[in-house]
Amino acid sequence: MTTSILVYGLVNSVILALIAMGFSLTFGISGVANFAYGGFYLLSGYLTWMLLNYLGLPFALAMLITVAVAGLLGFLTYWVILLRVRGIALSEVIATFALGAGMLEFFRWMGFVTYEFTLPCFMKGRVEIFGVPLDYQRLFIIGIGLALVIFLYFFTHHTRIGLSFRGIAQNERTAISLGIESDWTAALSLALGSAMAAVAAIAILPLGIISINVGYDVLLIAVAVGIIGGLESVPGILIGSLILGYAQVITGMYLAPEWMMVVYLAAIVLVLAIKPSGLFGKFKELEERV
Amino acid sequence: MVGGKRRPLKAYSIDTREHEPGIPVHDALTAVEKLILEKKPHAIVLGAFRSEILMASMDLIAKYKIPYICSIAMTPAFQKKIVENYDQYKYMFRNCLNAIYFVKYLQGAMGFLNKEFGFNKAYLIVQDTLWAQATGKGLEKWYKGHGWEVTGFDAYPLGASDFSPSLIKVRAKKAQVVVPIFDMPQSGILLKQARAMKVPALLCGFISPVAPGNAWDVFEGEVEGMVNFLFEIGPIPVKAVPKSVAFNKNFGKRWGEKARVILSGHGPGPSYDSVYIIADAIKRAGTLEPDAIVSALEKTDLTGVVGRIRFAKDHQVVYGFDPKETALGCAFQWRKPGVRIPVFPEVVAESKIELPPYMK
Repeated sequence: MTTSILVYGLVNSVILALIAMGFSLTFGISGVANFAYGGFYLLSGYLTWMLLNYLGLPFALAMLITVAVAGLLGFLTYWVILLRVRGIALSEVIATFALGAGMLEFFRWMGFVTYEFTLPCFMKGRVEIFGVPLDYQRLFIIGIGLALVIFLYFFTHHTRIGLSFRGIAQNERTAISLGIESDWTAALSLALGSAMAAVAAIAILPLGIISINVGYDVLLIAVAVGIIGGLESVPGILIGSLILGYAQVITGMYLAPEWMMVVYLAAIVLVLAIKPSGLFGKFKELEERV
Repeated sequence: MVGGKRRPLKAYSIDTREHEPGIPVHDALTAVEKLILEKKPHAIVLGAFRSEILMASMDLIAKYKIPYICSIAMTPAFQKKIVENYDQYKYMFRNCLNAIYFVKYLQGAMGFLNKEFGFNKAYLIVQDTLWAQATGKGLEKWYKGHGWEVTGFDAYPLGASDFSPSLIKVRAKKAQVVVPIFDMPQSGILLKQARAMKVPALLCGFISPVAPGNAWDVFEGEVEGMVNFLFEIGPIPVKAVPKSVAFNKNFGKRWGEKARVILSGHGPGPSYDSVYIIADAIKRAGTLEPDAIVSALEKTDLTGVVGRIRFAKDHQVVYGFDPKETALGCAFQWRKPGVRIPVFPEVVAESKIELPPYMK
């Protein structure tokens, strides 16, 4: 059973990291906590499903279109909605949360609530790792998670846009004085974060079904992982995901599955009480020092 | 004709959305009260989906004194409340299966599995709702008194879709039978996860998304071997009950074959019958006066899609194993090439329960 916990705990951790990375990226760069994140995640799931089932597109093409559409919608969200409230944290949260809830409830209203909404696995079959059966989809998830971390590292360290992202994240005013366009960078961070939500949705949703509550859960996961690790820190997200991922699986195994969701909430409360900026976060610490 | 006057039946509906996770009880109750106040119905059929809503709406129905037939919510607490306070709650009836009868059917199936394959280790995975918990606990009690070992009992909240913690334990504790009890849409994925994790156990219970005829395609054949219950016959034609055959034929004609194959494993038969039950009671009562309708309902003796319909003193339709005497539920097994074969009880069985290919 210990091997199973190790293997499935790792998978669960990567799932949480995949979900939280897009949210963290946007916040780290633009400072916008995109509470519409769950909406983008679910929209991506339903859009892929519709492209597959209504238009009969090949899976790969449907995935590409979905990621592009999610990115575009994220980009437009900044220009159409967030630009007007930029800098007012509470208004940003309210505006994005309303947008996300609107997206989720729209699908509920459309009747997308049955068991038929499932995405296909990339490949059927399984392997055994130290005697523990693991399906290919979960292996893909681990691979995608790793690829995304590597991509993010190279993107933010070796591309002009990535460097401008980091510049804005470090000090927006200085970055502007050096010619980096703040609004464009923030809009691009929203686009990239939303596209990452789409990647996560396409990889993870084949393990379950696409249902409205998943959108709300995803937002909770992203916030919980971010708060534990530090909202703007990629290493923090990875460590936060590992802590939560294993804590959840152990809770499900040794306590009871109905307590698994409580792990997120308890972690949020604990970390906010003990280290409000998260394990690797700096925002709150800097604020306190000032 | 009601009391010599022609009264055509008019139906109004309202969706309480209570089957979805996170819908507050008071929202569902508000919808019920809105229907009562705006449309002023003489009776309510189908009723609550969730037992929690059914229980909460009992006082509302008592307040307006409206004859009410519930066709989905299954908690036995409903009957208990009627028996304890008959004068207040006598307006409410239930014609679908309840958790107690479901446990009886499960006991029958488990008895067969024990006799045929020597199985005696079971793992229960249930939804954290009143009816599913009541079913799980009822079956657990029976297991313990009949030489079975219950290797685990887990409950999942509505909306949960990761069942891997339980499935890991099923493997580790070498359970031979997994009894899932779920009606939420997310639960279908349990089967896919069990196959992905190579869980070497027979699944025998109720997973609502696995009951309809299109489940084989939706779950890409991963449902093979599962023994799933249909709480009431109706969504599958059964020769022993000719009305169920006619219902399927006519439903397909009226709404199309696509709609027929997605009929749920719980509710279609009783919901259809409930209209005939209430119309019959009103006719016999000869009035729209609630107390007279209640008296007529108590004397109901009809043959419907689910078999013979008679209410017990606690206002629950009696379920059993002979459709000539009682209403009937059944179990089927998914087999290649994507067909549902009735396997239990004997009166409807077209084959015995077989071990799925991964257990042979």
